[in-house]
Amino acid sequence: MANPIIEFKNISKKYDDTPVLKKIDFEIESGKFYTLLGPSGSGKTTILRMIAGFEDPTSGEILFEGKRIDLTPANKRPINTIFQDYALFPHLNVSQNIAFGLELKKMSKTDIQAKVAESLRMVQLSGYENREIDALSGGQKQRIAIARAIANEPKVLLLDEPLSALDHKLRKEMQVELRALQQRLGITFIFVTHDQEEALALSDQIFVMNDGRILQSGTPVDIYDEPINHFVADFIGESNIVPGTMTADYLVHFDHKDFECVDAGMRPNEPVEIVIRPEDLDITSADKGKMQVTVDSQLFRGVDYQITGHDADDHEWTINSIHQTTVGAQVGLVFDPEDIHIMRFGEDEETFDARLDSYEE
Amino acid sequence: MKAKFKLSNLYLVFVFIVIYLPIAYLIFYSFNTGATMDKFTGFSMKHYTTLLSDTRMISIVLNTVVIALLSSLLATLIGTLGALWINQLKRRSAKNAVLSVNNVLMVSPDVIIGASFLIFFSFLGFKLGFTSVLLSHIAFSIPIVVLMVLPKINEMPRTMIDAAYDLGASKWQALSRVILPTITPGIFAGYFMAFTYSLDDFAVTFFVTGNGFSTLSIEIYSRARQGVDLEVNALSTLMFLVSLLLVVGYYVLERYGHSRRVNRNKMMKGPNAQ
Repeated sequence: MANPIIEFKNISKKYDDTPVLKKIDFEIESGKFYTLLGPSGSGKTTILRMIAGFEDPTSGEILFEGKRIDLTPANKRPINTIFQDYALFPHLNVSQNIAFGLELKKMSKTDIQAKVAESLRMVQLSGYENREIDALSGGQKQRIAIARAIANEPKVLLLDEPLSALDHKLRKEMQVELRALQQRLGITFIFVTHDQEEALALSDQIFVMNDGRILQSGTPVDIYDEPINHFVADFIGESNIVPGTMTADYLVHFDHKDFECVDAGMRPNEPVEIVIRPEDLDITSADKGKMQVTVDSQLFRGVDYQITGHDADDHEWTINSIHQTTVGAQVGLVFDPEDIHIMRFGEDEETFDARLDSYEE
Repeated sequence: MKAKFKLSNLYLVFVFIVIYLPIAYLIFYSFNTGATMDKFTGFSMKHYTTLLSDTRMISIVLNTVVIALLSSLLATLIGTLGALWINQLKRRSAKNAVLSVNNVLMVSPDVIIGASFLIFFSFLGFKLGFTSVLLSHIAFSIPIVVLMVLPKINEMPRTMIDAAYDLGASKWQALSRVILPTITPGIFAGYFMAFTYSLDDFAVTFFVTGNGFSTLSIEIYSRARQGVDLEVNALSTLMFLVSLLLVVGYYVLERYGHSRRVNRNKMMKGPNAQ
């Protein structure tokens, strides 16, 4: 990381002795799309509000381009926010809303007009200048909120679950547009969401949070393929998580058998958890499978069938398959060694990365 | 269904008759040629002409209006700031305590408030008259304004103020450009409430008015005690008409504002309709 635009150093936050952030450290690089992902109450919105300047850390430092910013008030920071409820001003029309920040900066009338028009073009709502806020649909309000924020040319744009109030289809459209907008503007986006699908689709980097801590950070692919622990594996995507033991490097034992895998660097016979994604499992006849399960249920979901079954030890297995099967039948499951991901108990991100480095070139 | 509809209508008409009958009676006799309400002896405007030539009465009307305008204006100013202050109190218990203190003034009897003001002013050696009436009217109007403004502030999403700061507004700019315009309806409602409370207050004014200064309610009361005077009827009729016009004007304004807004939205939707 050459020159991070935002750094959190040992940040803690308490509300009346209830800790919401526990010694958070992270760096944010300029020009990337970051996502803070976690369940509600994990502290992700608090981080966002601290960057914006609406909350002060109880201890620790926040740096912006290398200089302390946590003592600077919100109105002096080159950072803008898009709020979950959009927070548009209902007594002003669309162009007055967008011009709000520009007028405070004493920009000239003609410059403001040009900037408003440009911002509206960016969000594909040209010609909406004189509309009242009350006359806009949810999706349009969303776009105006984005236009109002980007008109101020912030160096960092904060987005607090901005798509959560939109319906599914509109949300998908706005995801594509947000991603395109970020790439066109080239500024840093920090996006807060509890929707893991959204996080995977949009981000360059994801911070997975729970209970006031960042559990794992990395690219969407890293986090999906190599979750650090049970929580992350469970929270991101669907997964089968079963207990097992590490027989040796590249060999893991579960379902009364040893399986080849691609993980190493653990103690012999160390108890571990095994993650296999439902889409990595294929169904075959019982005798051809690497392991056998009895099918309990089958749901048709349009793109595929979600099949659940149990093995001899009564561990539940979920399989996503485009082929139908019969409930009650015994079937075989096949998978490749690289489909198995091993998680150690209580391993933190640093030792996890170090272990990966020790056997990956 | 038709019968039911008629019955409920009948009831409504009955209620309105009961409410408006005394006022109608009073208005009717204001046009009497005689000097009493015993018997209607013929139509005349003579009570109105005496009223208009009664300079004492006219100056009292002006006093009353000036007190009402000034006290409600100042009470709105203080009450709005108070409501904003109450809203930003962090501790819930402190907020509730201040609100209770505010509401106690609303429910305590006017007589007690008036008496306490009298004791307070005489204790300070304050001369009773215009200022004492004005001050006490401001005092009892403030809680009304707070009660009208506070819900509007609470309704306002917290993120809107955050958004103002986020876009670079100072505290003052956030207040003047976002908070105040948003709560304007509440401020207006508070102002009109305070205005009407001040206009028709009798009990509090009665205590603090002193000699030589009088408001309408006090004057009408003292004249009514001396015997029925149809000049009072004429005055009441005029006041009733003024308040009727005010109410009608208020609704016309509201309708006009609403329809203008709707029309503007319709016009805007035209070219870009999806």
